[in-house]
Amino acid sequence: MEGLSYKDVNREILRTLSPPTRSYYLIVGLLLLAILGAACVWAYQIKVGLGVTGLKHPTMWVLYLVNFVFWVGIAHSGTLISAILYLFRAKWRTPIARSAEAMTVFAVGIAGLFVFIHLGRVWILYWIIPYPNQRTLWPDFQSPLVFDFLAVSTYLTVSVLFWYTGLVPDLAAIRDRARGFRRKIYGFFSLGWTGTDRQWHHYGTAYLLLAGLATPLVISVHSVVSWDFALAVIPGYHSTIFAPYFVAGAIHSGLAMVLTLLIPLRRIFHFEEIIAIRDLESVAKTAILTGLIVGYSYLIEYFMAWYSGNVFEKQTFLFRAVGHHGFMFWLMVFCNAVAPLLFFIKKVRTSLVWLLIIAVLINVGMWTERFVIIIGSMSQDFLPHNWGFYTPRWVELCLTAASFCLFMFLFLLFAKFLPSISISEIKEDLTPLQRGKGRRDHHGA
Amino acid sequence: MAHDPALLGIFPHLDDLLAALKKVKKDGFNILTVFSPIHFSEIQEILGHKPSAVRYFCLAGGILGGVSLVGLAVYAHLSFRLITSGKPVLPWIPFVVVFFEGTVLLSVIFAVAAWILKGRLPRVRPNPAYDPRFSEDRFGILVGCRGEERELVWKLLEEAGAEEIRDVSG
Repeated sequence: MEGLSYKDVNREILRTLSPPTRSYYLIVGLLLLAILGAACVWAYQIKVGLGVTGLKHPTMWVLYLVNFVFWVGIAHSGTLISAILYLFRAKWRTPIARSAEAMTVFAVGIAGLFVFIHLGRVWILYWIIPYPNQRTLWPDFQSPLVFDFLAVSTYLTVSVLFWYTGLVPDLAAIRDRARGFRRKIYGFFSLGWTGTDRQWHHYGTAYLLLAGLATPLVISVHSVVSWDFALAVIPGYHSTIFAPYFVAGAIHSGLAMVLTLLIPLRRIFHFEEIIAIRDLESVAKTAILTGLIVGYSYLIEYFMAWYSGNVFEKQTFLFRAVGHHGFMFWLMVFCNAVAPLLFFIKKVRTSLVWLLIIAVLINVGMWTERFVIIIGSMSQDFLPHNWGFYTPRWVELCLTAASFCLFMFLFLLFAKFLPSISISEIKEDLTPLQRGKGRRDHHGA
Repeated sequence: MAHDPALLGIFPHLDDLLAALKKVKKDGFNILTVFSPIHFSEIQEILGHKPSAVRYFCLAGGILGGVSLVGLAVYAHLSFRLITSGKPVLPWIPFVVVFFEGTVLLSVIFAVAAWILKGRLPRVRPNPAYDPRFSEDRFGILVGCRGEERELVWKLLEEAGAEEIRDVSG
């Protein structure tokens, strides 16, 4: 990246916005078709009722909640990379932050969608809004579900605003090189940005504040999601380590998704000069840390179950490993805690193929983890006569698959209509064009 | 924003821009605006900007957000008519989470609104001094000048290394 000038950065990043190829239209069209199909499936579920899913006593939280927690988790690394690493001035964040932020926005949106799907009678959603009503119903603000609503909606709003704030100078750069209708559209969203000292001054302060505020928020969101479970008395849920365990898991899955998206993006858009292998390597190194925390959490859960002497806890964790969903447990352990250890080997973490394979494995593992935690504990709680096994039905499977299609669809639109790498931040990492006077001028001017 | 006649100097080099800024400021001319493709703290230092007021808006938003969301929670709990035993009507410890989320939400919204408004955005009409190259790799200084000042400023910008100088008015 060092050999690039400001002009090169504009050209390299903005060329990705050129008119798409036929294969792009084909893939986007197929994804759109899948999404429309899923909308029909959801309409069918609304018409017939939640009975079309595998949701039945005692497993009252099914695949929809698994997906909700999974997608909220995916959303975590976006803000981690863009806010926390920004505060730490980690340079490797710059080429990947924009895509990670976009990923965050889309993932939180999809997560929120699953709450609506899980509600069943979605048209009476307004019942949960606190306003004077004749039903004498009011939301309970000490419920973790209300915390969750507040945390996820705040996170979505903050992520969108943070993402948009970072985009404004880049939108102005696109506007300046666009013509006709595109110029009007980008001009509208760039708010008339001209890069004056006054604008940069207030923008810089606001961006720093947003990063500072988003940092505790990112920790709080998945902590709050974990309390949906930890505040219940069900064995396997009722644990004090859930908040850090969930946060680490969320970052783990998010980092894996960043790698899963960026490796193909880097190849398709020829971003080899901007997204260096060492940047992807840094993501892999962070995944080692989060993988170790997740692995430690798996172990410590077993220790706590044994050390507590609680027969129900011990039984739950025994079932988790050798019970009905035992395969899922071992898949989870392998993908989340064992596979990332391969990143200790430099050859593995600098190989794009291995990076992608392990990242996909972690994604599979993190989805599986949510399944094991949510479904496993609900299926077998205290009393054997209350046990029941859950099998997902086609409706849930369709909507789960469609969520991945929707995510890819949104990401493909983003990659074609917005700069997937921050132009202004990449420039900040470069030495500006200088005349000399004893200072370095790599442009030879 | 209509302003007095001014000269716009376009610079390809950062060193030259900073030197020109110092000179223009030292000679007592009126620097209206400096354009740059990215945020440079050196420019802010030379211009002597005070710390941004965005901080105060953000703080005000945070206080308002936290207090109003807890206020809503208190209102909802006090309005609940059905008797539920064993729980305090106003559970302050869980309200910490509610307060935190409200604080972050409104402080972020206020901070974003503040940088947009303090940056005099959104702007419908294009800035007459703006050059599209400022979003790429060029820097610009807009210096207000009247009458005989024009020649002096022109010369100053030229000597400082401006690759292009032009009159801007209105």
